[in-house]
Amino acid sequence: MSALEYSTSMSSGWLAKKITKENRVGFAILVVISIAFIYFAIATPNYLSVFNVKTIIRDAAIVGIMGIGLTFVTLSGNFFLLSMKETAALSIIVFAMGMSNDYGFIFSMLGAMSIAVLAGAFQGILIGLGGNPIIVTLGAAGILYGVASWWSDNLVIFFKRPHDAEWLGTGMVLGVPTITISFVIFAIIAELVLRKTSFGRQVYLVGANRAAGKATGHENLPMAIKTCIIASACCAFAAIAFSAQMSSAQANYFSSEFGSSGDLTILVIATVMVAGNSIMGGYGSVLRTSLGAVFISATDNLMVLQGFNSGARVLSVGLMIVLSILIFAYVRRDSRSEG
Amino acid sequence: MQLSNIRRSFGSIHALKGVDLNINHGEIIGLVGENGAGKSTLMKIMSGFDDGFEGEFLVDNVPVKLGTPQKAQEQGIAIAQQELSLIPALTVAENIFIGGDHGPTVASLGQLSKMARPFLDEVGLENVSAKTLVNRLSIGERQLVEVARLIAHKPNLLILDEPTAALGESDSNRILEMVKRLKAAGKSVIYVSHRLDEIFKITDRCIILRDGLSQDSVDTKELDTNKLVSMMLGRELHSMFPPRDFSKNNTKNKTIRFEVNSLWPDRTLVPINMKIYAGEILGLAGQLGSGSGEVLAAMAGMHDTQGGSITDCYTQENYLPKNAKQAISKGIAYGSPDRKYDGLFLGRSISENLSSPNLKGISSKGIIQPQKERPLVEDIAKSFTIDLTRLAQEASVLSGGNQQKVALGKWLSISPELILIDEPTRGVDVGARAEIYNKVREIADSGKAVVIASTDLLEISNLPDRVICFYKGCYVSELVGEEINSTNILQAITNPENILLEDAS
Amino acid sequence: MCDVTQGQRGKTMNLIKQKLTELDPDLLFAVILSLCVFSFFAFSNPLFFTLNAGFSIMERFAVLGLVGLALTLCIIAGEIDLSIGSNAALSAVIVVRLTDSMGAFPAIGIGVLCATLIGLAQGYLIAYLKVRAIVLTVGTLMLLRGVALFAADEKTVMLTDFRMTDFIQEKIWIFFSPASLLVILLFIIVGVFIKYTKYGREIYAIGGARKEAIASGVNLKRPMMIVFALSGFCAGMGGAIIGLRSGTAQPLALQYLLLAATVAAFIGGVNILGGKGSVIGAAVGVLTVNFLNTGLVYNVTPSYVVQIYLGVLLLIVIVFQTLSILYDKGKQRRLLLHDTALTKQKMIDAYKSVLK
Repeated sequence: MSALEYSTSMSSGWLAKKITKENRVGFAILVVISIAFIYFAIATPNYLSVFNVKTIIRDAAIVGIMGIGLTFVTLSGNFFLLSMKETAALSIIVFAMGMSNDYGFIFSMLGAMSIAVLAGAFQGILIGLGGNPIIVTLGAAGILYGVASWWSDNLVIFFKRPHDAEWLGTGMVLGVPTITISFVIFAIIAELVLRKTSFGRQVYLVGANRAAGKATGHENLPMAIKTCIIASACCAFAAIAFSAQMSSAQANYFSSEFGSSGDLTILVIATVMVAGNSIMGGYGSVLRTSLGAVFISATDNLMVLQGFNSGARVLSVGLMIVLSILIFAYVRRDSRSEG
Repeated sequence: MQLSNIRRSFGSIHALKGVDLNINHGEIIGLVGENGAGKSTLMKIMSGFDDGFEGEFLVDNVPVKLGTPQKAQEQGIAIAQQELSLIPALTVAENIFIGGDHGPTVASLGQLSKMARPFLDEVGLENVSAKTLVNRLSIGERQLVEVARLIAHKPNLLILDEPTAALGESDSNRILEMVKRLKAAGKSVIYVSHRLDEIFKITDRCIILRDGLSQDSVDTKELDTNKLVSMMLGRELHSMFPPRDFSKNNTKNKTIRFEVNSLWPDRTLVPINMKIYAGEILGLAGQLGSGSGEVLAAMAGMHDTQGGSITDCYTQENYLPKNAKQAISKGIAYGSPDRKYDGLFLGRSISENLSSPNLKGISSKGIIQPQKERPLVEDIAKSFTIDLTRLAQEASVLSGGNQQKVALGKWLSISPELILIDEPTRGVDVGARAEIYNKVREIADSGKAVVIASTDLLEISNLPDRVICFYKGCYVSELVGEEINSTNILQAITNPENILLEDAS
Repeated sequence: MCDVTQGQRGKTMNLIKQKLTELDPDLLFAVILSLCVFSFFAFSNPLFFTLNAGFSIMERFAVLGLVGLALTLCIIAGEIDLSIGSNAALSAVIVVRLTDSMGAFPAIGIGVLCATLIGLAQGYLIAYLKVRAIVLTVGTLMLLRGVALFAADEKTVMLTDFRMTDFIQEKIWIFFSPASLLVILLFIIVGVFIKYTKYGREIYAIGGARKEAIASGVNLKRPMMIVFALSGFCAGMGGAIIGLRSGTAQPLALQYLLLAATVAAFIGGVNILGGKGSVIGAAVGVLTVNFLNTGLVYNVTPSYVVQIYLGVLLLIVIVFQTLSILYDKGKQRRLLLHDTALTKQKMIDAYKSVLK
């Protein structure tokens, strides 16, 4: 089947699914939201300017990259990881320590990535052997954050400017921030992997039906390990990018209000869920998650411009998550079994 | 209770086309019928789990509308389904009173035990303490507790669905005794079972379902195995089976393709040895838990064993797969009995389903090659008569028959040498059944080895060239050629004492 | 099975054996672990073994106990409430803000009521829309944070007169305070409720064997709403206690409660699959975590290191549980094989006797 056929069938299928599942109500809600959004977008001064749009996408980048990684985990049926911001915390500390000791970008990045990969593999093994992802990652989160703080004595680590990672932190290519470009590249590569490689196919299959996956020779253990590693690596990259921007790092950079929308882990989970990826796995795409990240960022930006305070913004994101959960639960209630 | 002309359709599938059923107080009726005849649909209607039917439903001559199981309970109807619904983490007494309003709101475990005692005694569990955790009981005891729970609701009519399916000899007898006691107490029982010997032992009358229609009820006294079987199976459906050539069995030039050596799956009493010939369809007959399905699963690495191996007579390799991946690498395909559970990826496209066991074969260096996947998938779809234009659709939109075709067809992607199928046509309509049977025969004719296991009497009597019968974890007998008919098979898998005695001596 | 001819001594031995096998191994493990942790800290730091330390432990118990109890109930029911921290923070904000104008008790009442209603609403959505709690509470975690931020105007809320709420920390009987006594009372009430009423049993039922429970006629909605309403109540109460104790409330605080309470619940013997656990276990688990926490604090350990300990502890408990599940499976298989062998023997004997 050609790529074009495939993508059109997937997208029209998606749309058809939205309407035909007797969900006039849900679809109507979606239309209303879209109209309201468009209205406010037009009504707010400066919102639709090129500069603002670029800002929106840039703000979406860090969360988006982490979301892309998490999508792999969710698609494979392993729910989500509660340790995303802690993995990022540890990675950022390792990276900053490398940079401040003049190890250069490559080594620092390798250091941070390796730690993240190890953390991901560890969690992936436990999850693949049957551990509940929520509990395992909850525990891992505590450990990772603790180690990050302990290693850095909970102090801020600075590295002087200009430094090796300037190109990533504040650099631009053709007027577009490198971080945005990274986001786009990540999204494209991830989507290609999911659609075109046998690994990607396995992710979808195992997520759609773990027992059937086992029966056709695709076990969950390697999937869990690989997807957790991917997610952790994405967290590391996002952390590195953020550190490059700030030329510094502290273990709690990701803990307190990140950006303006509260808990980073929850925000990343939000991008995955609001985008419509199935929590049970087997359905969804990285493209959706990226759009979800941009959508949340766009909404947040809109609220900032309209003068809402952070409480309202956090509330809105939370509301979006809850509503999207409820809507999707309502739409899919026929195709799910009891309990 | 009286049911007249009950009809029930699910979309285009007519599960019940006109069923009549009467039962009086103090009567035991046997409800018999092949898989797919409509028994479970009828039971769901009778017990209030389904109210989308047409027809008359009277209880004590009053028409009733049972929307929920609770209402059925109020009418005095209780059903014990095949899948036990006991909660293993709770005690017997707690299980007896859970759900419904017949139990006390506040009570200690001791008080509940006292209240549960009479019901436990009535089902024959006098030696079991009501404070025992259910997960410590044997299957037989659990079955009895399930019934005890039912009678705690003080019903007038009990529907028992295959109560002895998983039970041994003595436990089954306890159930039969209990049913007789219930009759003596003036209750009515509808006893649904494949165990014809039990039907003969305790029922007053029999109602036979076939293809969604009920035959007139017959007094059990007037029935014997042959008559019952012929009423259950009818005569028209033989045409859906491809013709068999029994002369093949007599040639001394039959090549042994695979040998099963001392394979001892869990739940089987003794290790099993079998010879599988190239080009034949071997059938394994036996009821649930008799070993027929377990042997098949063990051969594919999907069931624990205590030892044994398969020998590939062409390559002289000796092995036992421990999981699906290993089985696939040896060219063994295994179609599981429950396609919804592990036979299909319902949320994915048909095309992805069909290529799922052989991702390696359609990729190079990890990247899927559409130019390899498309022809493979289209070939399989053509040979199983799946509409090519639907390949991109989700597997969940297909009918049962087409889903089964996908679930089985995907195995062709690995070009298997040994094809094992457990329940090839469960939940499949007649048209698709014929297509699947023809395809299986075609595969066998091309020189592959095919083994099917089935609890469908019609299927197991008409499709295979050779049948091995199992009973309660034992190999009973092998039927070849003309010996293969429903009566012989039924006898061997439900009441083989005579045969086993011969063997034993 | 007792042989009838055994004497009195034999009978007593069997009785003891029976009682021992009836004991829950997980509870035993929890108690032993708890004693180990306590002794470790008691011996390594003399300050730990003082009456003051005891009081401090009980004070911690008040808050963590509530949240631990709530999470235990949720996990027993086969779900989990990730929003419990946010709910507690919201309640703290409400209570602290209203105490100035209405006095402590009405403020507590309103705060707890709000939290309970929130819990009830979540339970309703989970039961009626069949959303998984894990999924929904991720969203409500964020949502309630936003509400808390809103209600606190993004500041840290403070009491104007700190003395108003000193009574909460009054020492009663050396170790206890009104807060911890209240929580102990709650434990007892909930414990009785779970063990002795139909509604309590339903909670166990929908946890470990949800399909079977529904097939048995259990209405999913009632136990689900009860569990989440209780969870909300506990969160509300916990938040109120913390808020009034310190006199301040931060809208974004109390997230650590989730990890600590989860560890406590698992030490106390809950199983991630649901259907297993007890109130006593929850209490022991909470005490263990409290010993750990307080002990580490007395050893001047920074809070982030405490997190490492908790995380490691959680993973150890998970591994232990997984291993015991594997062990159980192995045991069941052995039983099955044993049964099969017995059946075989019976059949052979039966045929032998017929042949004779």
